[in-house]
Amino acid sequence: MDAVLIIQSLISGIMMGMVYALLGVGFSLTWGVMHVIHISHAAFGLLGAYLAYSMLQYFGVDPVVSAAASAPLLFLVACGVYQLLIRPITRAKEVIVASMILTFGLAIILENVMVLIWNADPRVLTPTYASGALIVGPFYFQYPHLVGFGLSIVGITTIYLFLKKTYTGMAVRAAWQQPEAAQLYGVNLYRISMITFALAVSTAGAGGISLALLNSFEPHSHNLWLIYLFLVVIVGGVGNVIGTVLAGLIIGVITGLSMAFLPYQWVNLVTFGLLMIFLIFRPHGLFRQGV
Amino acid sequence: MQKYRLAAIAILIAMLAAFPCLEPEVYYLSFMFSVFMYVILASSWNFIGGYAGYLSFGHAAFFGIGAFATAKAASMFELTPLLTILASIPAGALAALVALFVGYPCLKIRGPYFSVVTICFAFVVELTVKNIEFLGGAEGIWLKFMDIPEKLSRSILYEVMLLLMVVTLAVAWRLGRSRLGAGLRAIRSDEEVAETMAIPTAKLKIQAFILSAFFPGIAGGLFAYYLTYIHADVVFNINISILIVLMAMFGGGGTWLGPIIGAVILTVVNEGLSIFAQAEIARIIYGALFIVVTIFMPNGIIDFFRKKGGG
Repeated sequence: MDAVLIIQSLISGIMMGMVYALLGVGFSLTWGVMHVIHISHAAFGLLGAYLAYSMLQYFGVDPVVSAAASAPLLFLVACGVYQLLIRPITRAKEVIVASMILTFGLAIILENVMVLIWNADPRVLTPTYASGALIVGPFYFQYPHLVGFGLSIVGITTIYLFLKKTYTGMAVRAAWQQPEAAQLYGVNLYRISMITFALAVSTAGAGGISLALLNSFEPHSHNLWLIYLFLVVIVGGVGNVIGTVLAGLIIGVITGLSMAFLPYQWVNLVTFGLLMIFLIFRPHGLFRQGV
Repeated sequence: MQKYRLAAIAILIAMLAAFPCLEPEVYYLSFMFSVFMYVILASSWNFIGGYAGYLSFGHAAFFGIGAFATAKAASMFELTPLLTILASIPAGALAALVALFVGYPCLKIRGPYFSVVTICFAFVVELTVKNIEFLGGAEGIWLKFMDIPEKLSRSILYEVMLLLMVVTLAVAWRLGRSRLGAGLRAIRSDEEVAETMAIPTAKLKIQAFILSAFFPGIAGGLFAYYLTYIHADVVFNINISILIVLMAMFGGGGTWLGPIIGAVILTVVNEGLSIFAQAEIARIIYGALFIVVTIFMPNGIIDFFRKKGGG
């Protein structure tokens, strides 16, 4: 097996993993902070990808600009979704189960709305630089992949800085670690939950656009995305941003290596098999430390 | 009271069993067949998911194992129709055996982590079947169907599935009132405390998991025979796994009646919508149903009515 090919697949695996990490960060936060497993998270990501697709198709807007523009839009939509749908079920006996059923319904709705608007054909984001590539020595990087990768790094850094440096971000972390104590210190849990949820959904949009720069997508792609989300989040530890990033990289390396060494149809089998074994031995992720 | 209830159930079963004598169209037989199948799947899932609170999102794996084992046996040994139907029982046992080996390490993991392991497991099984030619491979397996008129053969499988449903529900009824059921409920409410009270939690969980894999395995075998052609994409579909969970939780997990109600309602609504509305619109309404029910009945339909009735 030739070394160039191995390194090439490793790098594309890592890029992919980083993008899944951006998609996963928000999923991890809603789960960790609010105890809501947001099944439609990936569907919102897909919605972001479709919005970027249409913006590019009809107005020639670059996906990066769409990612920045769709973030506040999705933030507002998610605030509405939180108030209307998520908040009422926080009274349930088992919030996790109730939230899964409810957001599963939401994912079905989103998926089919996307089928109605954009129909079921697979799509690709083709910005003007789509056919170009950066060639470094023997390695070859397509520009859209690099842009998607860069976008995911920017997105994750933004979230990380928000949580570490801003007052609201610290309140989110406090609510995650000690909800009761945070409340005593004047943190409004409902407001924090809404912000967490809305923030998560807007990063999902950016993540979806990044992923769309790397892969083609169709209205039911979010199902497969969701599985990767679960993997990234669980391996990284729920609610852990840095952990999610590292998990993205690990999964990227695993897929990258198996792509280099195995026939295509075995790649997913190896990925899921290894993760299953991993989960059995380290069910709470590699890193127990949080946010 | 108990006597009347038993009589009512017996009459209901007899009516269902007599249904094919009315010579309904094959469509209705197929529809009822799938209702029975989902009742079996949701009720068996309930053993581990509802009673013990271990939400398995990979139950389609057991369904698929049963389907592929039956189909493989039937095509390899050229089994007669009767033997094919009977072959689904060892196929179910195979699914139960897999559940034993998978459950042993996986049931140590709790909460959502368990759910994710089961998702991975279902994928591993699906991809293994797809990648190994002997097990079916990418082409799937064809079965030879019975050499009799279609309606008669459909009626036979209808009756067999009905029988399996009755058996499953009887076991579910027993389980709900047994020590096993009580132990599982204790695990669900607090596993640590249950362990301290000398409940052998690990053993009970494995038992429930094996039981909850056995019946879906048999149902998978019958389903394979009903379709006469099976493919990994169909029987291992993750949507089946998710649907099973939703049906049980929708009706009310951890109760006998909950999964039955959930399975019947969701199958009927899904079918009804797909007749009357455009496919996408139907799916949107279906999705909205989940949202509305969860908001107004966050603990399942059964719980909602019980509270209303009980004041």
